[in-house]
Parts: sequence; structure tokens; C-alpha cells
Amino acid sequence: MMKIENLKADIGTKEILKGLDLTLEEGKVHAIMGPNGAGKSTLSKAIVGHYDVKITGGNIIYKGQSIVDMEPENRALKGIFLSFQNPVEIPGVNNAYFLRTALNAKRKHNGLAELNAAEFLRIMKGHLEGLGMKADMISRSLNEGFSGGEKKRNEILQMLILEPDVIILDEIDSGLDIDALRAVSEGINKMKDGKRSFLVITHYSRILDYIKPDYIHVLKNGRIIKTAGPELVAKLEAEGYESIEEEIR
Amino acid sequence: MKLAVFKHKTKEELCGLLRTDPAKDPLLARFITLGLPNKKSEAYRYFPIEPLLEKEYDRAVFIPKPIKEDQRIEIENGIVKCAPKGIRVYYKNNRHVDMEHFDPFYYLGHLLASNVIMIEIDGDVEVELLHRFTLPNTLIPYRLVIKNQANRHATLFESFEGEHAKSSLILYGYDLWTAKESSLRIVNNQTIQNDGYALIASHKFTVEKQANLVYKTFDFGDAAALNLFKADLDDYAHIDAGHLLYTTGNAIGGTVSQIVHKGEHSTSRQEAKNILDDHSRGIFDALIRVEHHAKYAKAYQNSKSILLGDDAYMAAKPQLEIYIDELEASHGATTGQLDPKQLFYLRSRGISQTEARKMLVIAFANTLIETIKDVRHQEEIKMSFEKTFYAQAKG
Ligand SMILES: Nc1ncnc2c1ncn2[C@@H]1O[C@H](COP(=O)(O)OP(=O)(O)O)[C@@H](O)[C@H]1O
Ligand SMILES: [Mg+2]
Repeated sequence: MMKIENLKADIGTKEILKGLDLTLEEGKVHAIMGPNGAGKSTLSKAIVGHYDVKITGGNIIYKGQSIVDMEPENRALKGIFLSFQNPVEIPGVNNAYFLRTALNAKRKHNGLAELNAAEFLRIMKGHLEGLGMKADMISRSLNEGFSGGEKKRNEILQMLILEPDVIILDEIDSGLDIDALRAVSEGINKMKDGKRSFLVITHYSRILDYIKPDYIHVLKNGRIIKTAGPELVAKLEAEGYESIEEEIR
Repeated sequence: MKLAVFKHKTKEELCGLLRTDPAKDPLLARFITLGLPNKKSEAYRYFPIEPLLEKEYDRAVFIPKPIKEDQRIEIENGIVKCAPKGIRVYYKNNRHVDMEHFDPFYYLGHLLASNVIMIEIDGDVEVELLHRFTLPNTLIPYRLVIKNQANRHATLFESFEGEHAKSSLILYGYDLWTAKESSLRIVNNQTIQNDGYALIASHKFTVEKQANLVYKTFDFGDAAALNLFKADLDDYAHIDAGHLLYTTGNAIGGTVSQIVHKGEHSTSRQEAKNILDDHSRGIFDALIRVEHHAKYAKAYQNSKSILLGDDAYMAAKPQLEIYIDELEASHGATTGQLDPKQLFYLRSRGISQTEARKMLVIAFANTLIETIKDVRHQEEIKMSFEKTFYAQAKG
């Protein structure tokens, strides 16, 4: 589905990704774990084309095509979705209008008819209930004054509506209480269809009790230093990231 | 004719050129004192007035016709075509003008216009006023006097059409009386595109005791268009002025104003939002003066600008001039860019760069657009904005 090859990337003048290799397989859940500042968010931003990140080497191949020079909106239209670690607030942009505009952009891209407000609201209703979101959250300004948990639910709502093919979740679990975590995880699990790939970025193993990973990758100092099965979670939990580094040396 | 012919002339010479009657002598005197504007004129310090003065224009002929009855007031090239029932619209040789206006074009407009168009708004009504210009390369000067009734609450929607008025110069404006204890809302929707005509509007508002004037301007496009106004506030009078400016191409324009607190407990609120694209230049040169008698006045003034074009420029000069101690006043101005984080967030969801910019710009403008109570007119303004926005995005 996606192949990241020897990716090097800077933020400002500092090299953050230093030759990162990662392959996302169709239908699989990949978890990326790693200490703070390792470059996890930078990786997610590189994949979606964030302006902070300058790619200086390597490649990202998605559905057989290099995307490193592609505009962010085109990456999204082709099915890449990032749930942001810190979703931005946009006062004055109505959430429902935003969601419908995004969905219609995608539908148009796929040659489908655009939805009017009534048709759109019908689709929304089911999703809102599932996520435990109050109906008024879509009539408010986008993320404005939302609590941390509400913002994360709103990210998942976007994911459910846009039905992307590659889903990157950057610390979707941070700041969530147990109920929110369950609702969000259920939303994510609903998207599993044997085809979509997931990249779950986290620094705690907690969410991996809800979203079962197929692979665990350890990111440290701008590289994937280890890839293993889900059994690695317990070891990381017990011994920390240092043990992995020593093991490699 | 060229407007530059009025430069440095004596009263006698101007009398000859303008063929005015002696009743207009005080106006002439005031015009001579202020002088034809130039680079150094306060009111035109950010607006390139000189090319307009040096340009050769045809002169619109003034032959009034009988006024037909229709849904709205239409004024074509300075001549009233029609007006709705119940609104008194007529011509008058009225020279009841403000002798302390700062704008020389206020006086020149009065001197050039043979008559004023009187509009008397009776009752609690909504009136539409359409200005239409059909003549290219023509100087079109006309003046209006607008009055409402005491204790009444009326709304006036002003709009402009001028596809064929290429290279013309419109000099218009109104002397407006908001009667005591009344309210009057004016919504001015002015979109000029494709290098159309230039427009200088020069107004005088008198807000009488306990009256409330709401004056909202929506100026979009790529033209040279300047709105100048002076507003005098009596005791307990209130003005709520809002200006949304969206300029593209090589446009230059905006608002030059003086709000004068004359009476006690008078209050003013003036808010400008400016969106400058391409190479355009925006102006918000606004003075609020609180005079000796205006005890307990309240004045609030603010300008926010977003520069979309790399060469765009905003001259935002909010100013307070205060002659008393007992008052509440605040003013400020900010200029910035669209937030890249917000822009990226929208794009990361598949929304195009153009659409994302529009959403953010509309969000910025919305606080002003949504002060229009009437939903249909709100939609009209949003559509005018989008038309201008997409015309710009394509080009
Ligand atoms: N916008 C930024 N400006 C400067 N440095 C940044 C910026 N974003 C991230 N960094 C730096 O890049 C490194 C990697 O950050 P990040 O990818 O966010 O780490 P992680 O998500 O793994 O915690 C850190 O050292 C961080 O300080
Ligand atoms: Mg991070």
C-alpha cells in the first residue's frame, strides 16, 4: 500500500528523519512506538505533505506512485488521512460545512454526485451517535473551544466520513479518558476491512489493547530500529526503548 | 472635461466654469479653502487622486425624466428612473450642506450636481437603491439627500451596476439625516470588477438625538473606489459603522472617515476588516473626534487586515482625537496573513488550496457579513464576495 524508502527529512535546519524505511501492508495495522522527540509526528507530517517538513532524500511510494511532490489535498483525495496530534481550531468555519466540503471534494474526485446539506446530515447522524458526540458539535465552529477528547472524536468523525485507504493516527489516545478511548477505538475498528492500512503512532501501549496491531515498529533517532510482532509491546513496556537499542548494538 | 481645470482658481473663475447661482457662494468659498485634492491632501494621502483629475471625461447630461413606480429606487447615470410607492423621491435645489466637511469632493459634488435627489423614507420599511452607470469614460456627479422619520426603523440596501461604465468617474454621495429616536440601517454592496469605473463617494451623516445609524459597507473588486464620510453625533446618538474590504488586482480603496461626537452620551463603533489580494492597496483612515460637549461618550474603533497577495498593502490609521476626560475609548489595528496551520488542516482533508483560502477568508469576513439581519441580503453579499474571489483565483 505504501513504501517509505530511506526517507530523510528536516524541520527547519535540523535533520529529524535520517533514512527511515517502512512498508505499510494492505489490511494491516502498524503501530509505531518511540520516545518523545523521536520523529514520529515528523514522519506523519512527511506522509501528508506538511509544510514544516522538508524532504531531503528517499521516497514515499503510495499505490505505485511517488507522492513526495504531491500537493497535500491530492494526497488526501487519493486516500491518505492523518488524525493530527493537535488538531487546529478554526473559528468562523462551521464544522458541518467543513465536513461536507471535504466529503464533496472527495466524492467529486471519485466521480460521485455531491451531497446536499440534508443528505449529508443523514449520513452524519449515525456517526455522531457511535462516537458519543453531541449534535451541536457539528453546528459549532471547527474545533473551536472543543475539549481535547472532543477534538479527537472530531478527527475520527472525519475519518469515518472520508473513508480513506491509509489511516495515520498520531497519538489519538493522548488526553482521552477510558470512555472516549473506547468510542474512538470502536470508530477506528469499524474502518478495518482487510484492505485499509493503519499507522497507529503512540507512546503508550494502552490503545493497542483496543486496536490490535499486526506489527510493532520502534522509531528512534529518525529511524525504524526494530520491527516485530505484537509481542514486542510487553517487552517495551517492561524494559523501555533503551533495551532495544542495546540489543541492536 | 478635466477636473484639473478647477485647480487654483479664483471664485469668479470657478463661478464662470461651474455656472453656479449666488446661493452656492459659501460652497465655492469652502471648496477654494480646501482646494482640489492632491497628494498632500489629508483625505487623499493614500489614494492616487491625481490621475483621475488629469483624465479627460465626457460630461453626463442631466435631463430628469418622470419617475416611474417600481419595486426599488433606480438611479441611472445620476437620474432617477423609478421608485417604489410610499417613498417620496424628487429633485430639489437644496443646498443644506455641512460647512465643516473635510473632503473637497463633497463640495465639488454639490457644485457639479445641478439638483439633489431627495429620498424621504417613511415608516418602518426596507428600501432598495440601485445605482446604475451605463456611460463609458464619463464624469457622473450627483448628490442625494436621505431622510427618515422620527421613531421609525428603516433599512436601505444600496447596490451598484456598471458593466459598461468603463473608465468613468462617479462622484456621488448623500447628506443623510437620521431623525431623532429613529434607527436607519444602510447596507452598501459595492462590487466593481474588470477595471470598471472609479468611484468616490462622499457622505455626510447627521445622527440626531437618540437616533441609531447602522452603516455597513461591502466593497469588493479591482477598482479605485473610496468611501469618505463625516458623521456628526448628537446627544445619545449612536453609529455602528462596519467596513468589509476585499480588493484584488491593482485596486486601491477603502474608507476615509471622521466620526464626530458632538453630544453627550453619544456612542460610536467602527470596525473594518480588510482583505488585500494581489497588488492591491487598502485604506482605513479613520478619525474619531470627541468634542467638548460630548461628555460620557463611548468610542470603539478597530481594523483587522489580512494580506493575501505578496505585494498587497494596507494603510490602517485609526485615530482618536479627544477633548474631554469623561469618556470610554479604544482603538487598534492589526495586519497579518492567513494562518498556515489552518490552511494546511483544510487541505489535508482534500479541500483545494483555493477553496481552503476562501473558507478562511470568509470566516474572517463573516463577523461583518453576519451583522446583516436580512438573510437574503446576507446571501447576496456572500455571492458578490465569492464572485470576486473566484475571478481573482482564476486570473
Ligand atoms: N515545528 C517545529 N519546529 C522546530 N522543531 C520541531 C518542530 N516540530 C518538531 N520539532 C522537533 O523535531 C523533533 C521531532 O519531533 P516530533 O516528530 O514531533 O517527535 P515525536 O512526535 O516523536 O515526539 C523534536 O526534536 C522536535 O523538537
Ligand atoms: Mg508527536
